[in-house]
Amino acid sequence: MRIQKIVAMGATLALAAVVSGCSSGSTSASGSKTVNWWTWDDKQAAAYQVCATDFEAANPGVTVKISQYDVADYFTKLTAGFVAGNAPDAFQNSVQFFQAYASQHQLLPMDSYIAKDKFDLSRFSVGVDAWKYTDGKQYALPLDWAAAGIYYNDATLAKAGYTRQQADSLTWNPDDGGTLGKMIAHLTVDAKGVRGDQPGFDKNNVKTYGYGEIAAKDFIGQTTWGPLVESTGWRISDKESWPTVFNYGDPRFVKTMDWIRSLTDKGFAPKIGQFGDSVSDIDLLSSGKVAMESAGSWEAATFVKIPGLKVGIAPMPYGPDGKTRAVLSNSNGNNIWAGTKNPDLAWKWVSYMGSEACQSKASLTGTFFPSIPASMDASAKALAAKGVDLSVFTGMLKNKELIASPVYVNGAALQAAVEPLFQAYFAGQKSDSVFTDMQNQSKTILAKK
Amino acid sequence: MVTSQGNHTTPVQPSAGSAGAVATTAASQHSTERRSSAQRRSAGPKHNAPTRSAAARRKDLPVALLLIIPSVVGFAVFYAYPTLRGIYLSFTDFHVLSPPSWVGLANFRELVHDGVFWHSLWVTLYFVVLSVVFGTLVSLFTAVVLHRVTRSSFLRGVILLPFLISNVIAALVWQWMLDPTLGIINIALKDVTGHSILFFGSGPWAIPSLAAISVWKWMGYYSLLIFAGLQTIPETIYEAARVDGAGEAQMFRRMTVPLLRPILVMVVVLTVINSFQVFDIVQVTTKGGPANASNVLQMYIYEKAFNEFDFGYAATMSLALFALLITVTFTQLRLARANESDLN
Repeated sequence: MRIQKIVAMGATLALAAVVSGCSSGSTSASGSKTVNWWTWDDKQAAAYQVCATDFEAANPGVTVKISQYDVADYFTKLTAGFVAGNAPDAFQNSVQFFQAYASQHQLLPMDSYIAKDKFDLSRFSVGVDAWKYTDGKQYALPLDWAAAGIYYNDATLAKAGYTRQQADSLTWNPDDGGTLGKMIAHLTVDAKGVRGDQPGFDKNNVKTYGYGEIAAKDFIGQTTWGPLVESTGWRISDKESWPTVFNYGDPRFVKTMDWIRSLTDKGFAPKIGQFGDSVSDIDLLSSGKVAMESAGSWEAATFVKIPGLKVGIAPMPYGPDGKTRAVLSNSNGNNIWAGTKNPDLAWKWVSYMGSEACQSKASLTGTFFPSIPASMDASAKALAAKGVDLSVFTGMLKNKELIASPVYVNGAALQAAVEPLFQAYFAGQKSDSVFTDMQNQSKTILAKK
Repeated sequence: MVTSQGNHTTPVQPSAGSAGAVATTAASQHSTERRSSAQRRSAGPKHNAPTRSAAARRKDLPVALLLIIPSVVGFAVFYAYPTLRGIYLSFTDFHVLSPPSWVGLANFRELVHDGVFWHSLWVTLYFVVLSVVFGTLVSLFTAVVLHRVTRSSFLRGVILLPFLISNVIAALVWQWMLDPTLGIINIALKDVTGHSILFFGSGPWAIPSLAAISVWKWMGYYSLLIFAGLQTIPETIYEAARVDGAGEAQMFRRMTVPLLRPILVMVVVLTVINSFQVFDIVQVTTKGGPANASNVLQMYIYEKAFNEFDFGYAATMSLALFALLITVTFTQLRLARANESDLN
């Protein structure tokens, strides 16, 4: 009798320990008056803190908690949060994961709030449509827009005999590379000081590459090969929303890739993987490893502020017809989690972040371009006064040179399937027949539910 | 220092207190324990039957149950349940956020036709072969050197140091040292040969680099095991061999290695299992790249589950790995007759 009691007690205790051990993990959900907001960008986390302070002042008793997690872990952590029930009330999201989350009912549709508050979506000049799901509902407010430009070492270009005007009006084609190709060859210098277009150039001992890491595994190529191949009229997908195929097999695309691989073969641009992940675009230019490179618009302020180095910004080159520029622009979205305990408060914060007041203030840091034109102008003006000239990017917006990034399904699977093939191609392990294979794979993956 | 041969035939534990033989007992226990428990089992009924009645044993049952509850609960909650659920999930389409839906053998059909899976399997096997061959050789060599050359326990401790570092830190430090532009190894290589090597950035080098880190990391541990095994070999055998005129190399090949067989088998089995499960050093350094060159099975499973949220298919692959590991381990133990020693 007594022993049985002890057994029962022991079992209960053990069970209680197990149960409490399990539950203690998920009690950290948001309190009643706290809005949790996540981003993967450390600079934007700091930028939006300004808005958070204003929002807290306008709504007494409300705390906004901004958290930042590195992009490599961000989406895994977010998903874990959905499962455990402690995801943030609202968060920055990329179109790559939009469908995955929306189809599993993790995102809150905003239409009822938009209607109730008479929130005017037309205040955003870009990115609204990217966040409409297949059910026609609006799932996010666009947070920003982005483009790509060419950043160059001003002194190196001057020494090589190039003017700013020349840099601003480069042309490119996949056959001989146009004026961009010539410039890249001339800017490349080997260890003995011989330029890439001079006899005796040693491609195995390059001191300064003429161009940055354009042979990249990135499957969209937004800041690398994208603007070049898009200037030929090529588009990555058959349609903008929910495409069925990515056009990797197109002859224009294949030709562009061949040209890019010829750059690395000639020693004019670093080979894939030559610089580890720890070396950023900024490091490459500031250390003099490259003379110029294409990179994201969100890096403009950081590039310009490199100490002791004058960095110029040029637009992407004109395409083969000599007058077309095309740069892919994506917009990250501000989502509300469907499981939030305070949807009203979360909407209040998200809609405040989507206001001109917040966007103008936060974008002063130059770490992102607001989707609201008035805010964009305000921050461009303020940054120009600080010596950061964004006219290259605002020009793209005004001249309608931006093309919208597609919204597609199964982004993570697509990335996992295609990136190794890009790596293999640029490493010389596969011929350009790999692109037909890529196109077929994209078809299969985009067709998956 | 020398453990007498007799210890292995009698079911008595070797006296742990015998001078400086801490490591010795660790290893000899391994063989004696198995031996003695086997003998106890066969001797058990004869021994116990007269003194203990069935009723008395039944009275002990509740206490016995109480005593095993903690480990049973732990086993059930953290091992049995997840395993069964994993097996169940491998027959479903499961994306974490919505409940799993039964798809029968669809995942297994996908597995058979998944080129990346088979590629990953080969990559993993390549890693295993490199780790096992070089790991065992390096550990054996280190252990023999330790045994024949030094008596310093400080040196023996130093050899173990890499094992005390976590895998992630070992991988990070090696990644820095092997960095193509900033790493000390590549700077040295560039000075000597004029070329640097993309240890993690080029397909042919990725797996050998990872295997080298793994061998370095585990070398100390395995040499300590082998070292302990060496200490169980009676010195008298070597004396006899020396009298017969055998050289050091001959003694090593004809005596040390055969007599170490049970320990070596254990080391090989452990290395195989360990290497099949390699994940952390890959995740820290190459993340499976470049071009899937180091996409080992665990990495691919992780990628499918936690990046693509395809948990059903990831569970299927885990099950395949599980079956594979069981087969490999049992075959190894069978072939190597690991539960017998040649010392008797």
